[in-house]
Amino acid sequence: MKKLLIILLFLQLFFISCKKVNEEFSFPKKPITIIVYTGPGGLIDITARKFATVASKYTEATFVVENKPGSGGIVAIKRLLQLPSDGYTLFACTKSNISKIVSTGGEAYIDGIDWAAMMMADPECVITHKKQKINSWEDILTDAKAKDGDQLWLGPANGGLDHVTALKIWDEAGIEAKWIPFKSGGKAIAALLGEQGVAYVGNPREVLGNDDLQIATVSSSKRLAQFPDVPTFEELGIMGLENEFMWRGFVLKKGTTPQIKKWYDELFLNVNNDPEWREYWERGGIDVVYKGSEEFTKIVHNDKKQFTHYLQKIGIINTEATSMIAKLSTGKTLYFMVMIFVIIFLIIGLFVNRSPNRKYLSKIMLPLFFILLSTILFIISFSFPSNEKVGPAVIPRLWIIILIPLNVYLLVDILRQKREIEHKDENKKVVFGFIGLLILYLVSIFYIGYFISSFVFLIIGIYMLGYRNYITMLIISVSWLLFSYLIFYKLLYVPLPVGKLIEMIF
Amino acid sequence: MEILAEMAQGFGFVLGWQPILFIIIGVIMGILVGAMPGLSPSMGVALLVPFTYSMSPTLALILLVSIYIAANYGGSITAVTINAPGTPSAVVTSFDGYPLTKQNKPGMGLGVSLVSSTIGGFIGTIILILFSVQLAKVAVKFHPAEYFALAIFGLTTVATLGGKNWVKAFIAAMFGLLINTVGIDPISGVSRFTFGSVHLYDGFSLIPALIGLFALSEVFKQIDEQNFKSKKIELEKTQWPTLLDYWKLKLTIVRSSIMGTLIGIFPGAGATIASFISYDIAKRTSKEPEKFGHGSLEGVAAAEAANSSSVGGALVPLLTLGIPGSASTAVLIGALMIHDLTPGPQLFNKNSEIIYELFASLLIANIVLLVFGLFGSRLWVKVTAVPKKILYPMIFTVSIIGSFAVRYSFFDIAACLGFGIFGWILRRHNYPVAPIVLGIVLGNIAETNFRRAVMMGDYTIFFTRPVSLLLLVLALVSFAWPILQNKIYSKKELSKLKSK
Repeated sequence: MKKLLIILLFLQLFFISCKKVNEEFSFPKKPITIIVYTGPGGLIDITARKFATVASKYTEATFVVENKPGSGGIVAIKRLLQLPSDGYTLFACTKSNISKIVSTGGEAYIDGIDWAAMMMADPECVITHKKQKINSWEDILTDAKAKDGDQLWLGPANGGLDHVTALKIWDEAGIEAKWIPFKSGGKAIAALLGEQGVAYVGNPREVLGNDDLQIATVSSSKRLAQFPDVPTFEELGIMGLENEFMWRGFVLKKGTTPQIKKWYDELFLNVNNDPEWREYWERGGIDVVYKGSEEFTKIVHNDKKQFTHYLQKIGIINTEATSMIAKLSTGKTLYFMVMIFVIIFLIIGLFVNRSPNRKYLSKIMLPLFFILLSTILFIISFSFPSNEKVGPAVIPRLWIIILIPLNVYLLVDILRQKREIEHKDENKKVVFGFIGLLILYLVSIFYIGYFISSFVFLIIGIYMLGYRNYITMLIISVSWLLFSYLIFYKLLYVPLPVGKLIEMIF
Repeated sequence: MEILAEMAQGFGFVLGWQPILFIIIGVIMGILVGAMPGLSPSMGVALLVPFTYSMSPTLALILLVSIYIAANYGGSITAVTINAPGTPSAVVTSFDGYPLTKQNKPGMGLGVSLVSSTIGGFIGTIILILFSVQLAKVAVKFHPAEYFALAIFGLTTVATLGGKNWVKAFIAAMFGLLINTVGIDPISGVSRFTFGSVHLYDGFSLIPALIGLFALSEVFKQIDEQNFKSKKIELEKTQWPTLLDYWKLKLTIVRSSIMGTLIGIFPGAGATIASFISYDIAKRTSKEPEKFGHGSLEGVAAAEAANSSSVGGALVPLLTLGIPGSASTAVLIGALMIHDLTPGPQLFNKNSEIIYELFASLLIANIVLLVFGLFGSRLWVKVTAVPKKILYPMIFTVSIIGSFAVRYSFFDIAACLGFGIFGWILRRHNYPVAPIVLGIVLGNIAETNFRRAVMMGDYTIFFTRPVSLLLLVLALVSFAWPILQNKIYSKKELSKLKSK
């Protein structure tokens, strides 16, 4: 009897302690945000949204997808790293982000991120046009050797994943070719269909829907189930490309507690094994995989190494400024130079102000501004690395070279012709007042949010213009706020800022 | 005949209550999105994509293209009434639409822009239905050298826009082209003029620049000139275009619609360039070119017909090749993929019923747009009757939401404000601001294609390809002609004055 009591007591204690643990760890208590680094509709956006739907089978948690486009993901990564590492923010990441991180010198970001789970891997492949003479890998090889570096490969941006893959393919195959970058993969495919180049590097999915396209070879270790006739690089005798794949996954900010991480690991695994999830992606030729934190981190670091190598090779990063002018236009000397130009600008202004041409002062300031701006940008353009026929500096310089003479012409014209200046009835002070008010408005939106600031701004603004019917003023301001809340916030999903201070309080 | 049968089937589907309802919702949303400075057609489409995940593919497509069509028109409403083009392509509409409002004839501008929009949309769709496959073949052959030449041709419209101020117009265009080079270089991937700031990696966004240069600077200018008097507009007395007015515009509308569709076909060219070029051509061929810029109905018609018909054009490469021709169609591709439809030639063979349902809905959406637009125009006219002292502060708040909505960034609001102040200074000194927008739009196309073309061949490629050569020669002529004309004109004036 006693024994039984003791056992019961222990059991009860055990259950209580269990319950306690459960109470301590209850995650999540609020919706989880998935940050997507592109606008809605892109593949990564679809990935995040599909994940949210499938995940809801396994957890009560709600997921909210937030689009934070800009700078190839840098804006979104910065957002992730600004937020606390409480597990309430996921970032839908792709291999392209690594290329962007490396090319913008943001390697530190990689260590600030907890590479939680890699969920998908698409092999890279070489796509050709069926109706062109050159469409198999052998054709490409012989043609490349014949053209001796002039063979044209088409694809998306320079330094991106597809370009780096192409560079690696050329290295391993021992050929040379030219990469013609297009604004997007789609535009490059259009050019391939127009027979403007020989090959395109990208995702196998991109040939779907178009009978004129075919895959010449694919980087995976095995043949793809959807394209059983397409040989792998290995079969063609080219080694070292079996790991060239585009991955997508979900990451957290570093510092997330192990318990939350464990919760996520389970969720990722569940989603990964979910038949709906698998079927949805595999139909499109995408490899559904699961790689946990450890393996994923290794892959990322490997990618970083590879991108650094190739981006250096093509001159996107770490190119030392060589010429004198280039050195002038980097770092602190640049700010010094800008200062000098501003001073020159002011001196000329003062000089004219004291000369008989005083009344033309405001007229000549604009041409002068354009000339100085152009000169500064012209000098900066010497710091752009260039190892192409038409480098990044050429076109800006072209515009500058047209801009300067036009302004000089205008300047001379103003001072020689000395036309009468028409006097307008002006109200400049109110405009300056409004500009000041708008700057305050902008700052206050940042701190106390759109709604309160707009209310105050509307009332002050309408008052400043001389309107005095206070009741109408109030009605208009309130109804505008209601309108913007309903139309922009609710209907059009524009996440109007709530304000830093308000966020802190609540 | 086969097409007719398929179309009949398409209509059979679309004329059900559900599709019609979706078209109406799409059209209303689209007009709203288009009219708001800052919300562009592509954003309107993108914002609705998440809602369409759970719809049937056809209904989703119908909803999205209805928004796309209506948003392209919606931009002209604010362009005409308050000189704040809601979309980049409506910039050209404001050239003549806003002067009409100033002359107390907002109804004329709104009426002509609506009717030419819908006729343009209709013609664009019919070209799409009849010739899409053949046109797509031409589109893919368009070489970077030719894109470059087309961009240069587009730039020469500055000469027409500038009139007597052509030097200032060119300075503005060059400034637009120059600030377009800020950001990551699209060809080599190195950063240019970014001063190490992440915000500048993508360069200045077009929309905040557009809002600043047009809406904000216009309001600054009005405040500066103390233009607070609202015109009492009695709705019954508002002048609307008569059928005769429309009939006179038939040639302009048809020509601009065909031009708009053709330019829309080339991936990346788009509605804005289409409207600039067709405005330019309308002015050159007009019997009353001196009216352009001062409230010419032809000007409004040319701009609106071109930008609305470019929708049909942009759908050609999307449906036939799976390649987006514009920002909005790029979003549409994403939407199609969610519904397991891969756009491309196979879509025509496998799911041809969807294609014809889409065609039918495009035509019907244009009719719905006409109906709702006519009804709405009665309301929009009232905007011009709002007291200016209340309207101006409200335009500021709209501008701020609009520039923020592009990518939810404060930097964009600040940029918008900066462009507003700069635009005001420029206007004070009689610099036109529209060429800056043209420069920002064309800069990227001109630069990337120039460099691509040289990479693919060498410098002679622009002159050895016949189409590129032809476009460049046309560009030279159209650049030199208005300037020469102006010179001759002012010399004549001068001698007249002297003889007096």
